[in-house]
Amino acid sequence: MSELLMAEQEIQTPLHAQMNQLPGEGPRAESPLYHADLTSIANHGPVDGSVHLQELALLGHLVLRGSPQNESFVTGFAQVMGFALPGPMQSAETGDASVRWIAPDEWLLIVPGSEAFSLEKRLREVISGHYSIANVSGGQTVLVLAGRDAVNVLKKSTGYDLHDSNFPVGKVVTTTFAKASAVIRRIGPQKWELVVRRSFSDYLWLWLQDASAEYGLIVRG
Amino acid sequence: MHHNSMTQQNRLQTGGRINRSRPLSFKYNGTSYPGFEGDTLASALLANGVDVVGRSFKYSRPRGIIAAGADEPNAVLQLGATEATQVPNVRATQQELFDGLVSTSTNGWPSTDNDMMSYIGKVGGRMMPPGFYYKTFMYPQSLWDTYEKFIRKAAGLGRSPVENDPDIYDQLNQHTDVMVVGAGPAGLSAALSAGRTGARVILADEQAEFGGMLLHSDEKINGKPAAEWVASVTKELRAMDNVMLLPRSTVNGYHDHNFLTIHERRTDHLADLAPKGQVRQRMHRVRAGWVVLATGAIERPLVYGNNDVPGCMLASAVSTYIKRYAVVPGNELVVMTTSDRGYKSAFDWQDAGRKVVAIVDTRAEPSGACVVEAQKRGLKVIKGSAVIEVKGSKRVSGAVIASIDASGNKVTGNVRRLSCDTVASAGGWSPAVHLSCHAGSRPDWRDDIQAFVPGKTVQKQLTAGAVNGSYSLVVCLEEGARRGVLAAANAGFGDQSDELVEVALVDEVKEGPTMTLFHIPHTKSTSRAPKQFVDYQTDVTAAGIEVATREGYESIEHVKRYTAMGFGTDQGKLGNINGMAIAAKSMNKTIPETGTTIFRPNYTPITFGAIAGRNCGELFDPKRYSAMHRWHLENGAKFEDVGQWKRPWYFPQPGESMQDSLNRECKAVRDSAGILDASTLGKIDIQGKDAREFLGRVYSNAWAKLGVGKCRYGLMCGEDGMVFDDGVTACLADNHFVMTTTTGGAARVLEWLELYHQTEWPEMEVYFNTVTDHWSTLTISGPNSRKLLAELTDDIDLSKDSFKFMDWKAGTVAGVPARVFRISFTGELSFEVNVQANYGMYVWEKVFEVGAKYNLTPYGTETMHVLRAEKGFIIAGQDTDGSVTPIDLGMSWCVANKKPFSYIGKRGMAREDCVKENRKQLVGLKTKNPQLVIPEGSQAVADPKQPIPMTMLGHVTSSYYSACLNHSIAMGFVRGGLSRMGETVYYPQPDGSVIEAEVCSPIFLDPEGARQNV
Repeated sequence: MSELLMAEQEIQTPLHAQMNQLPGEGPRAESPLYHADLTSIANHGPVDGSVHLQELALLGHLVLRGSPQNESFVTGFAQVMGFALPGPMQSAETGDASVRWIAPDEWLLIVPGSEAFSLEKRLREVISGHYSIANVSGGQTVLVLAGRDAVNVLKKSTGYDLHDSNFPVGKVVTTTFAKASAVIRRIGPQKWELVVRRSFSDYLWLWLQDASAEYGLIVRG
Repeated sequence: MHHNSMTQQNRLQTGGRINRSRPLSFKYNGTSYPGFEGDTLASALLANGVDVVGRSFKYSRPRGIIAAGADEPNAVLQLGATEATQVPNVRATQQELFDGLVSTSTNGWPSTDNDMMSYIGKVGGRMMPPGFYYKTFMYPQSLWDTYEKFIRKAAGLGRSPVENDPDIYDQLNQHTDVMVVGAGPAGLSAALSAGRTGARVILADEQAEFGGMLLHSDEKINGKPAAEWVASVTKELRAMDNVMLLPRSTVNGYHDHNFLTIHERRTDHLADLAPKGQVRQRMHRVRAGWVVLATGAIERPLVYGNNDVPGCMLASAVSTYIKRYAVVPGNELVVMTTSDRGYKSAFDWQDAGRKVVAIVDTRAEPSGACVVEAQKRGLKVIKGSAVIEVKGSKRVSGAVIASIDASGNKVTGNVRRLSCDTVASAGGWSPAVHLSCHAGSRPDWRDDIQAFVPGKTVQKQLTAGAVNGSYSLVVCLEEGARRGVLAAANAGFGDQSDELVEVALVDEVKEGPTMTLFHIPHTKSTSRAPKQFVDYQTDVTAAGIEVATREGYESIEHVKRYTAMGFGTDQGKLGNINGMAIAAKSMNKTIPETGTTIFRPNYTPITFGAIAGRNCGELFDPKRYSAMHRWHLENGAKFEDVGQWKRPWYFPQPGESMQDSLNRECKAVRDSAGILDASTLGKIDIQGKDAREFLGRVYSNAWAKLGVGKCRYGLMCGEDGMVFDDGVTACLADNHFVMTTTTGGAARVLEWLELYHQTEWPEMEVYFNTVTDHWSTLTISGPNSRKLLAELTDDIDLSKDSFKFMDWKAGTVAGVPARVFRISFTGELSFEVNVQANYGMYVWEKVFEVGAKYNLTPYGTETMHVLRAEKGFIIAGQDTDGSVTPIDLGMSWCVANKKPFSYIGKRGMAREDCVKENRKQLVGLKTKNPQLVIPEGSQAVADPKQPIPMTMLGHVTSSYYSACLNHSIAMGFVRGGLSRMGETVYYPQPDGSVIEAEVCSPIFLDPEGARQNV
């Protein structure tokens, strides 16, 4: 089926609602930790400490659901993104796009905020069969926790084993984090990425400040 | 009692592991005393000659320090210099001394030295027979209340602070391949050999220094003092990246699946209050591959008359105080021993320059090397004899010695009195099997060592050293090394090769055989002899145990509960085995026949702070916020908890009462326009070709014909046909829907959908994703809502004919892409604007910029409740309680029984009870007095004069004052309510008044729906 024909068919009987949810220039976007004013803390806050925290705000988050047996889903993803969907508990990335395995039929793709809609469109153009794509960009945010004692902050927060032997760079788990949950990905020897829900982000921000107090927390802008 | 506070009269000039260059000062019961860095509170008290540290539980007898570790039953003190830093239940033997430490005894009333209770106690003992604790369970509750107050007051094991604890306690999750519990010789060896394989190892010990008994031992390892070996092993371990060392850390619980809880005291040795920024105590939650228990053994005291008088101590504790702390806890010592072990304490005492009165050996013909040494040292050894009783009350003043028969059951004569102030007893060792019992394993009795050792276990557990009954140093070291290698190999590290097992060279001392003896006989029968204490903390005596068995309590578990043996905060560490032996003897059974009780977590008491960790105060429970929360705060909202969400409840203006605010907010919505933050409602994105069919199966109503662009209300029922959630679902595209749920039900509904998809209908092609947090939802409601919204959009046709009730449209609002749903929970013309949550606040503010001229009024959940109740709309969870069907709610219009496939709840609703006449049905209730609001929960009755118990017809679920209607409104269940329209029901109130109400339709306002269809 040509792309044109497929697009025409979708206009006739839309199977999925697609919507560019981003406005043009003008409207102010507030990430889940906007109220915490991390930029000011980064500029004027403490500079000593062995835990670093940064919010990667306003990125594009797409939840992809599909069966690994759906060839169109697997190859379609690789075709659009230029890399394959990772296997269980793994992640993959190229440039500023990264994807995390969440569950046997679920992945989380994170891209620059402005690219979420166009990527969703392109993925929908090439994938057929049973799958879903949900834009959840407004519903979560990315925190990067780094530094020598980042691992200790994580030990206070999650029961998962973070040791090199069990949690090498690139691995991903979705698990409990304090009394909320987080997608935890190791992105460096002393660097971890947390994807957290918007509504829990203030709680987790308080939790992380508290858990890192004994080591010193440096907020990065 | 007056002490010369500067002398430390029992302190030696040399020796020990204390730091004499760091003098410290501390307080006990208001008096200042000196001590040294390296002391425990107990060693410092003994150094200063403090004999009495508490009063006993039942008899209020003066008690002194017996032990030197976790087994101490008496020296349980209250710590804290200020109210906020009070810590109860601290064993002085485990509390390191720091400068400025403030401690008080806890059992004393009014003071420990001169205690009024002791007079009562002498009489009170008769009022409190051994079965007091147990028998009261059989008494009526009211009586127990009285007993409890008395017992608590008398027991007084400390008190909680009444101010907030300013210190920080936290928890850390740990994972390890090998967990070694205890850093004595066996534990150190195990950790070292496991660590050398590269396995992850955690080594925890309750003491400040690793080494266990080696810290006060004269033995040599590889020709060097044992302490040097400890230092070199500790140094090697510290250098290993894969090894974590946790001193001052008690492994208090060994739970199922090799999960252990460790209580680390990080600053309790430094000061009353943790240094700024430091965590006082930390709970380590450890998941271990394999565990090596090297928990050691606890010395058993012998049970003899008045064995609780201060000055009666464990022989091993006497040695510990002398060798480790340079404190000799008395002047004239009598040692009673059943083995060679007691001799060592006498030698240490003599070496410290104090007088050894006699070594009383219960064995008729002791033969070990130490007997020879005693003779060489010129010490008096009295063979075949025992201390049957001591004299004194606040301090031992003498020991009554008698010869005993070879079985140890009878005094054979030759009774005499020796003058002394200290009696040390050595009754053999009880392996510290506590942790091995925590997951349910019962310990095994070993006749050869007359002790229980860890039994068969389902845990991945090994044991090494004294806990295993291996008491000789060389065996401890080798066993530790081998178990460490094995544990690592089991966890996947190393190949169990002998190369890793370093065999240390130790000079072995030949020991003679030990005599089996627990309970020392007296010239009088046990019941008439002076009290022979078994469990010091709960005042259980040998006579009491005999009474228990005489009364027919044959199971050791029953004996325990009858006497309260082992019920103290020390869990009977000293007393349990003696108690079992006495029970066995009095029943003419062996100890293994009698059996043993098992231990539960925690090994030693733990603070609530460590259990709670950081889950307190602000962090006790997550608070969830919408994207507009800052606006709500700035505009004075009062908040209501809905699940974990903080939702605006109402927005009071200065001077308004809550009812004033509600009246104003309600009227604004009905007269012009109001706005509600509805972002917290659950939102589930549903995609797939079977999405529509799936909806038809989980909702009670029909979904087959819902067109793209349309919304529909649905009721969700359990298999029992009872409503559990509701909400509006919109058709976004043929294969794409978005479902809304109640705020509190969002997670449950998503799980429900997944459960049915994954377990019942996996063939259906559908995916569910939560988008609750992704969309901000702004509900603009009121007759002016269309006009208001029109000012913010130029691409959505809001006209009545184009954008009908229950339609949704996409477009932009304030320049932000939005999905707008024309649905209404207020009965007014209403638009729910959904925008990506990062823009929620921006759009909210823009709505207010244009809203001023419409008197746009923010309203909260309480106003929403009133507005919807005026329309008779239910709230799932408030008007439903898991026992009502859609029919009971008067919502049969929301049930479609003709769907080709069944739906969840259809069969449940058809059950006999669900279709019978006269079920409780939801109706409206209009009070006869329009100003009276029936309290929610009030019970309906037909005849208010009926005697109690009255026949109750139902209850009120929602009740408010409606400012728009100028009268109160309510919804509630009434039996057969739908056929009682116009009848009067009565709501009796706790104050005796009765509120009359007429049964009516729950739709109080605009029953035709004219207001929302404009």
